[in-house]
Amino acid sequence: MNMNPRVTQRIAFSALLFSTLLVMVPVGMVIVVILKQGAGAISWEFLSQMPRSGMRAGGILPAIVGTFCLVLGAVCFALPLGLLAAIYLSEYSKDTFLNRIVRLAIINLAGVPSVVFGLFGLALFVNFFGFGASILSGSLTLGIMILPVIITSSREAIDSVPQSFREVSLSLGATKLQTIRHAVLPHALPGILTGTILGVGRAAGETAPILFTVAAFYLPRLPGSIFDQVMALPYHLYVLSTQVPNVDSGIRYGTALVLLVIVLLMNAIAIAIRAHFRSKKKW
Amino acid sequence: MSAAARLPDGQGSPVIQTKGLDLFYGNFQALKGVDLSITEKKITAIIGPSGCGKSTLLRVFNRMNDLVEGARVTGSVRLDGKEIYAPGTDLLLLRKKVGMVFQRPNPFPLSILENVVFGLKIHHMYRKKRGILYEMARKSLESVLLWDDLKDKLGRLATNLSLEQQQKLCIARLLVVKPEVLLMDEPCSALDPMSTSRIEELMQELKKNYTIVIVTHNMQQAARVSDEAGYMLLGELVEFGRTHAIFTAPRDKRTEDYVTGRLG
Ligand SMILES: Nc1ncnc2c1ncn2[C@@H]1O[C@H](COP(=O)(O)OP(=O)(O)OP(=O)(O)O)[C@@H](O)[C@H]1O
Ligand SMILES: [Mg+2]
Repeated sequence: MNMNPRVTQRIAFSALLFSTLLVMVPVGMVIVVILKQGAGAISWEFLSQMPRSGMRAGGILPAIVGTFCLVLGAVCFALPLGLLAAIYLSEYSKDTFLNRIVRLAIINLAGVPSVVFGLFGLALFVNFFGFGASILSGSLTLGIMILPVIITSSREAIDSVPQSFREVSLSLGATKLQTIRHAVLPHALPGILTGTILGVGRAAGETAPILFTVAAFYLPRLPGSIFDQVMALPYHLYVLSTQVPNVDSGIRYGTALVLLVIVLLMNAIAIAIRAHFRSKKKW
Repeated sequence: MSAAARLPDGQGSPVIQTKGLDLFYGNFQALKGVDLSITEKKITAIIGPSGCGKSTLLRVFNRMNDLVEGARVTGSVRLDGKEIYAPGTDLLLLRKKVGMVFQRPNPFPLSILENVVFGLKIHHMYRKKRGILYEMARKSLESVLLWDDLKDKLGRLATNLSLEQQQKLCIARLLVVKPEVLLMDEPCSALDPMSTSRIEELMQELKKNYTIVIVTHNMQQAARVSDEAGYMLLGELVEFGRTHAIFTAPRDKRTEDYVTGRLG
């Protein structure tokens, strides 16, 4: 039964490589299929015009703008809140019972199905606060959904800043706040940005949280205020695919392609930032 | 042995004085009744085996031990005659006056210039004109003998410098905030012998303007650079006095064992 270790090694390597390639197959296929079917529909008109004839013609501009507004709103809400929470948890909180509960809550928040966030947003923002179905309600709902990503990645980034940076700063007579501001956050920034962008990508792609809180079925105009409803790419795609008969499949896949490109672009930016700073950091 | 007997008979006024200094980490007593006096503009070395409390003692002087949960200090520690553990002490001012150089060179992953002026940001001296800022950085780098080497590379990443340069840069970063006392915790332990000797030369230079306390594992180093020295064992300051006396005519048997290499 004694196998040559070199053979075992080769088998193990092949198995690992094969699994890795297998994982890449679905990703590659999604991209290929959507690109093939959707690329033909992409044109300047498609990106810059209102939908016409019951969404069977024209462009998807309001959905792009809507998604953009929602994501921006979600980040404006979730980044400051998440970052402050992360700073508190990493730099100030002691390991008390309460804090463990808070940490547990954050982990669990990340596991909540997105449709539950949608219902929660409907109950709290749309109805209870009376924001109605609006950009505000949708952004807040998405913001809460991406909060765990932002808190977790910010905490990781903050915790990975070497303790010696804090010691140096304090030993030079800095206050704790100055130390966080000057010796910790600048070095944690890449990680915080990466997490934020990943959150943005997630917020851009989700349908369920915006379903009841903001998304308009068909609204061929641009929003005027944060209390307006908007169309959004993922929901628009859902509508095109299930609610509108006889839509040219090019329009559907074109919409999917735009959404995919936005999300992948976000991830690519996150990776680029991380790579850039990793090459610079030495500790 | 009375406290007075341990005080060195050298000239110069005392900058730091401790009396009956005890330090506890929870229930563990890391410093036991330490009495000493650090003289102005001299180099004082603290030697002793690993774990005897050298770093702990050093971190009493700038109260960095406050960061350790459960650390408790009793007894008297005075800087320029003022109790630094008295309530109402300005901790930030204390740490500005008593600066620290760490064992591993630890510049920030920023440019050389940004590293040097870091302390100015904190002490709100940053708003000054760029020219003045640059001037202060220059002075500071000059005093650590780095200016000639680095004056054309101030924008480079500090973490790419040699370890010796990094350690000097860390000293420069300290000097801009104008400390009185420099605490050095094994500042050469990450450096090769050549670099070590250049840092030692630098210390002789700095001693003209600053009071220096150095912790070292290296007895030759203590003998070479210091004017006064203390030998610590298990949290006790066994002997304290002129370096020459400590190494040639120790009064305590334990000191003698250590400096002649029979212990540690
Ligand atoms: N944060 C801490 N909590 C509890 N005990 C500590 C702490 N820091 C140090 N000690 C203990 O206090 C004693 C003195 O430690 P210290 O680091 O001052 O020794 P040292 O003389 O500097 O040793 P070394 O030469 O290895 O640096 C040691 O027994 C150590 O285990
Ligand atoms: Mg030590």
